[in-house]
Amino acid sequence: MGTFWTILGEVVNNSVFILTVIIFSTYLSLMIFSAVSLRKYLRKNSYVDYNSIITSPVAPTLSVIAPAYNESATIVDNIRTLLSLYYNNFEIVVVNDGSTDDSMEKIIDAYELEKVNYYFDYRLPCERIRGVYKSRNRSFKKLVVVDKRNGGKADALNAGLNVTKNDLVVSIDADSIMEPDALLKLVKPFLEEKEKKVIGAGGVIRIANSCEISGGHIRKIHLPEKWLPRAQVMEYTRAFLLGRMAWSELDGLLLISGALGMFNREIVIQAGGYSTNTVGEDMELVVRIRRYMAEKKQPYRVEYIPDPLCWTEVPSDIRSLARQRSRWTRGTMETLFKHRKLFFNPKYGKLGLLGYPYWFFFEWLAPIVEFLGIVWFTMLAITGRLNLPFFLLLLGFVYFFAVSLSIWSVLFEEITFHKYEKRRDVIKLMITAFLEPFFYHPLTMLMNIKGNIDKIFRKTTWGKQERQGFSGNSKPKKGTKANKETLEKNEETTGNS
Amino acid sequence: MCRQASTICWVPIKVRMDLKTTFHIILFILLLSVFPQQFITAVPVMQEDTAAVSSDMIPSYEEPGEEQSAGNSYTGVFARIFDTFEKSPTLILILYIVIIYSIITLIVLTVFILLNRSRMQKEQGLRQELNEQYQQLLIDYLFDEEQRKEIFRQILRIASSNFRRQILINQIIELSVNMQGKVREDLRNLYLDVGLKKDSLRKAHSKKWHENVKGFRELAYMNIRSANDRIMECLNSHNQILRMEAQIALVRLSEDKPYTFLSYLEKPLAKWEQITIHELLTQHNLSVPDFSEWFDSENLSVVKFSLQMVSWFDQKEAIDGVIRLLKHGDEEVSIYAIRTCGKLGEKKALPHLQEMYDHASYNIRMELLKAFGRVPDENYLEFLNGVLDREDDVQLQIMATKAMENLDEPGISRLIKLMKKKSEYKNYQIIIRHVLDGRIY
Repeated sequence: MGTFWTILGEVVNNSVFILTVIIFSTYLSLMIFSAVSLRKYLRKNSYVDYNSIITSPVAPTLSVIAPAYNESATIVDNIRTLLSLYYNNFEIVVVNDGSTDDSMEKIIDAYELEKVNYYFDYRLPCERIRGVYKSRNRSFKKLVVVDKRNGGKADALNAGLNVTKNDLVVSIDADSIMEPDALLKLVKPFLEEKEKKVIGAGGVIRIANSCEISGGHIRKIHLPEKWLPRAQVMEYTRAFLLGRMAWSELDGLLLISGALGMFNREIVIQAGGYSTNTVGEDMELVVRIRRYMAEKKQPYRVEYIPDPLCWTEVPSDIRSLARQRSRWTRGTMETLFKHRKLFFNPKYGKLGLLGYPYWFFFEWLAPIVEFLGIVWFTMLAITGRLNLPFFLLLLGFVYFFAVSLSIWSVLFEEITFHKYEKRRDVIKLMITAFLEPFFYHPLTMLMNIKGNIDKIFRKTTWGKQERQGFSGNSKPKKGTKANKETLEKNEETTGNS
Repeated sequence: MCRQASTICWVPIKVRMDLKTTFHIILFILLLSVFPQQFITAVPVMQEDTAAVSSDMIPSYEEPGEEQSAGNSYTGVFARIFDTFEKSPTLILILYIVIIYSIITLIVLTVFILLNRSRMQKEQGLRQELNEQYQQLLIDYLFDEEQRKEIFRQILRIASSNFRRQILINQIIELSVNMQGKVREDLRNLYLDVGLKKDSLRKAHSKKWHENVKGFRELAYMNIRSANDRIMECLNSHNQILRMEAQIALVRLSEDKPYTFLSYLEKPLAKWEQITIHELLTQHNLSVPDFSEWFDSENLSVVKFSLQMVSWFDQKEAIDGVIRLLKHGDEEVSIYAIRTCGKLGEKKALPHLQEMYDHASYNIRMELLKAFGRVPDENYLEFLNGVLDREDDVQLQIMATKAMENLDEPGISRLIKLMKKKSEYKNYQIIIRHVLDGRIY
């Protein structure tokens, strides 16, 4: 029995230690790549006059797709904000995903909408579209509203993709606030495209809790008052300024946040659009379009902008946060499982050899290993086999390294965009960096574990609880030809005229 | 027992702790870093334990030597630290190093962040103050000729450092962009008299690309050609920004034929560069060249850009060249040529477009139908009707219908007739209703 414990101890210790060292070395490398990338970006764009894009006939056409479900309270203001974005040749496609409140009535009244005789080409599968609306008022000519049966966010985005004809599409959350120049900044990587086709671009999402908002714009930026959103500010700063920036530099970015992402429309459609059978449709799409390009042997890039382009409200109570994190974990698991073929597959280049393994080991596996570590520690403590000084030494190692990474990200924020004007806010953020490993990190780790358990027990929260589920039975056949189903649907859509 | 006792040290663990406990832990780790021997000797199990891990990791916990007995002197402390490092197993050494590195980083970064805040605020204040001062002085310099010498001396006195001179350069450029004639010339003279040209030239010849960009911009705005050779060198630079800024500077600095660089361009011309060139042409009153000159360029991005510019500046005389490019080997060039034919509205191109249709790819067919929509000619009504009948693809059908609608009366009456007709192609009605709904397009 003693030998068994000895061998088990050896195996667990050494493998966990090796994993820890690899994780930290990776984070250190990512930090360096991120610093290089940020420096390059800032230097490059300090000379840019984005306004020249507005007047240019060469600039591509854009469609902003905003799925909305039961957002009656904010939808009218949010659409107004979207209509005031700086860009010339673009349209706003709001997809009402079968809201059960009075969202649709409010939009129709506010923007003087009427149903048009729209012919639907269901290139991507989506729930039945009840109608397409345009405004009688020429001031709102850029607005298109699609009313459809409830099918979830991915389904709504697919409906939007079916309606748009423009070169590029921007997917956003209808309840997030975009910076007025977000489209100009996001389109730039597509304009800089050379040998490698730019298939997607994402930007930094910032936290709007406690910020002063009026008329659909952020007026004053404050650090959140509550501890939970404040810890998330630290987490987002670290994830966006260190993680994603570095992955963009390495061309291994696997995730463009669903709150704001720009894609080449034709590539998205050819790759099959958003997947409706995952709760992490944003990550799944990026992985799929990358995979599609790799399989077609076409050189491509996925770009990332460190500018804060979009503001969103994050969960301020533990229950909502737990639901969100569980969904993220399930989304990650579903995407990793669906695209398991990529795992260390040299055929997919950096996607298979770098991006996918990183997500597998560090984003999905790391919290599980950490949790097992705690179980192991508890077991040893109970059985009296714990070596306290060494435990503390290791705790110090993990803690100080983690905090130093957070402080690096605060530094990056300070020397780049320094959105928090008050010195007090920066100090508070730094204190959060010191405290977060004790109260916030264990919490998110447990939520991660819960996500794993939820996935094992086949929970599909995103579709069923929050967006009233997908029926999935009446989806039309995929294709560009006018098949019978499509024609019937269009009869229904345009039947009123 | 001993081996298991050490095993826990590799497990990354976080436990719930309050602030006070955190402080104690930090204090403990700091003490551990400085006086590890006391802690380690209190855990004698390590001696046996590490032997099983690896021979090179074995710490030999000897009795404290002379250095350790040096009491509280600094020498003693450092000696103790070095001694501990020497005797610790490799993996534990890594832990120590990471902890010490992290603590030092934390302290340095915290101080840096706070100081940087103050520095930025101070710099911003100074920048604002200088901007206000320079603005006033420049206006006085331009419009108060009697005081000009005195103002010049004042400017020289204020512009005493690189930072202050850079702000002056920015102010002069900002002002001269909005000025013409004598005022602009006076500003240029001031720039030369203060010796700011040297600053710009230094930047243009710097080894740092972002400095080069700054230098090129300043020289171009101030119309100084001394660094043209250096700018030419950067025309085919690997750095896209530098390349683009070199192009822009040359366009601004060339008196005749500012776009000759397009003929020598080896790298693809990105959309962003095209936007900038177009902006220069439209916003800065530069003479528009005959873009058909580059139709035979080996650089396909230059050909595509030229086609776009031909349609934008409505260079109808280039139509023969455009028709020639319809059958270009590169599909994208063909698409751009078809689009240009449509935008120029030249009926001369229509027979060529019709001829292409049957053997063309999907994308080209789509573009051809769009072009027919832009150049309405009722002679092609039957052709378009035929396309509507023949094509299965909805998007092609919509485009053909749209082109028919653009023919006005004859096209619309044909569409209405088709709508009324009972056809096995049920989608006629829906497609035509879609196209005829003026609110959609």
